[in-house]
Amino acid sequence: MTQSPTLSRRRGHSGTALPRKSRQRGADARAGYTFLLPWLLGFIALTVGPMISSLYLSFTNYNLFEPPKWIGFDNYATLFQDERFLQSVGVTLSYVVFGTPLKLAAALAVAMLLNSKRRGQGFYRSAFYAPSLIGASVSIAIVWKAMFGDSGPVDQGLSFFGINIGGWVGNPAMTMPMMILLTVWQFGAPMVIFLAGLKQIPGELYEAASMDGAGPVRKFFNITWPMLSPVIFFNLLMETIHAFQIFASAYIISNGDGGPAGSTLFYTLYLYLRGFSDFRMGYASAMAWLLVIVVGIITLIFFRTSKSWVHYSGDAK
Amino acid sequence: MINRRHFLTTVAIGTASAAALAACGNGSSSSGQTGSADNPVTINYTWWGNDDRAERTRKAIALFESKNPDIKVNGNFTDFAGYWQKRATEAAGGGLPDVMQWDLSYLRDYGQRNQLLDLGTVKIDTSAFEKSLLPSGQIKGKTYGIPTSTNAFAVYYDPAKLASLGIAEPTGKWTWSEFQAFLKEVGDKGNGTLYGSTDFTGVWWQFNIWLRQKNIQAFNSDGKLGFSKDDLKTWWNLNAKLRGTQAIVPEDRVTQLKPKSPFGSNVSAAEVTWDNFMAGYLADSGAKQLKLVPVPSDDPNNLGLFLKPSMLMVASAKTKFKDAAARFIDFMVNDPEVGQIFKTSRGVPASKTQRDGTTFDGADKLVVDYEKSIEQYLKDAPEPPIVGFGTLEASFGRIASDLNYGKLTVDGAVDAWFKEAEDLIKQNA
Repeated sequence: MTQSPTLSRRRGHSGTALPRKSRQRGADARAGYTFLLPWLLGFIALTVGPMISSLYLSFTNYNLFEPPKWIGFDNYATLFQDERFLQSVGVTLSYVVFGTPLKLAAALAVAMLLNSKRRGQGFYRSAFYAPSLIGASVSIAIVWKAMFGDSGPVDQGLSFFGINIGGWVGNPAMTMPMMILLTVWQFGAPMVIFLAGLKQIPGELYEAASMDGAGPVRKFFNITWPMLSPVIFFNLLMETIHAFQIFASAYIISNGDGGPAGSTLFYTLYLYLRGFSDFRMGYASAMAWLLVIVVGIITLIFFRTSKSWVHYSGDAK
Repeated sequence: MINRRHFLTTVAIGTASAAALAACGNGSSSSGQTGSADNPVTINYTWWGNDDRAERTRKAIALFESKNPDIKVNGNFTDFAGYWQKRATEAAGGGLPDVMQWDLSYLRDYGQRNQLLDLGTVKIDTSAFEKSLLPSGQIKGKTYGIPTSTNAFAVYYDPAKLASLGIAEPTGKWTWSEFQAFLKEVGDKGNGTLYGSTDFTGVWWQFNIWLRQKNIQAFNSDGKLGFSKDDLKTWWNLNAKLRGTQAIVPEDRVTQLKPKSPFGSNVSAAEVTWDNFMAGYLADSGAKQLKLVPVPSDDPNNLGLFLKPSMLMVASAKTKFKDAAARFIDFMVNDPEVGQIFKTSRGVPASKTQRDGTTFDGADKLVVDYEKSIEQYLKDAPEPPIVGFGTLEASFGRIASDLNYGKLTVDGAVDAWFKEAEDLIKQNA
């Protein structure tokens, strides 16, 4: 058989033997749902179920031992009087606002370098992608901690250039730059997507622009950026959501307490401490739902504003 | 175009390695209970600690099994921080292990919420225990925990480091200001290479002892705070002049050295903490010898010291094998051979039977001798601290650390801690 199933099915639309085809479509759908079932069951049991129960718990006082006590919106109300909570919001926002654009810029820059034809490009692509594969792991956070500690390689390297700031790990002013560097270094995932997007841009556009005398900067802003905008939008959205969820590296670098002086007290870390160290599961659930709502709103804003700067091929513009 | 096959391969490898990593993180908690009286029953036992303790515990379990062929013990351990998170989820699911090593800070959280077995209802021999120690494991007349061993607060110092600076060894008969002068002398002579100690006002138990020296109880019997904001202000102001000087290890150093302590890392010459840290400090610092003296007090007849159970043995309220659990606990706290296995690594054995059956030498002897030397000053151990005490103890240290970072004033720090404490007491009321 040489025809792909999609093709034959598409041809079926214009055919005359509709009943037989629709019956087959029904069978296809059944098969599809059957294959979907294991995932669907898991999704309902492991994701939807716990989410609904956490929504209920967020309106209760629940310490894991005794049955939850309904307290209405109390958890949500106390959140805004909790200085540690406000601190965690501040820490997380500064991480999202500074870390995400830097990471995307790094990803795009490297993707553009790797897009050119050069010997050993395959090797470079793998090498630059590697940090993202191991980036979320516990070991990297531990290595990072050692690198930025007192007399670690970073401290020594900077001292060589006459910059003496000592270890970053114990200095509340330096932990955020350290965390941002860690996420920027893990640019591999958006980089691969950027690279795929760059490959899609027809070379003729650049050729034509060169003929008209456009320089590299002009080409970037007038061709690369608009042609790549759907991919940029996708990466921006994913990385922003991802940045809000940072947990493991902060947990390890701060020994699980969000220190020094609360400078790595990320939202999810505080949520975790509230739930599993302080046994205030209701409070933690309220925090989780607030995060869902806020990330939802931010996503919505992104989609609304995207119309003005994201161009899809085939748009009237 | 990006090569689709390569892309997919990369993604697949990434996913697979992520899955493999996730699998590594899964803790094992098998139940494996076979339950008739003729066949051996299996009980689960869990503890926190390092590899050294795991090895000693396995030896003790093997010994127990050889003496009690009708019981099998299934052992499991984690580190201290992860330990409590795991117990919390197990308790919520009704699946706490049959027997557990326990900490005083969490006794009320679980005991008062009916998660632990009243050990008064089973047969455990406590005749060899000091009468003043047992109340530490009791809440409202019910016995939830049996102490394995005791520890007491002490000032550690490194004699070799003091000698190299030309400073005389302390005698342990000192007032708070003499102790501070000592730290200052170390800091001045150490001049940046050696500090006095960490800010001792950041240690909850040292504060507790200071309160006892003034005859103030930290918590009263209805679970409220027994001290005022002014008490805590006085306490944190005690070191106001020393913070930021070389008498005290800078807070960023303390943070960087974690999970090791500055004393164990040879950054300071002294430290106040529990006497059973001896083995750990010796291993961490590589020092030949470390010595212990009593904590300072302005009243030479009241040092505020007490013996605290360094750890307790408890059983789950839901255990199906009460008898087996009780026999295992009895064995772990009373058997002389168990004492021989653990020495002072759990603290000084609490049961006289076990203590007398153990030979102590070297560093172990120093710890035992220290506890003997302070015998005349010991007062009753405090009752188990309030529900949620683990949280309060942690925030005490955290807020004191903010104080040392200069992020808070003493007044601000006191307000912050009281707000958290009052909020927590209200939550758990």
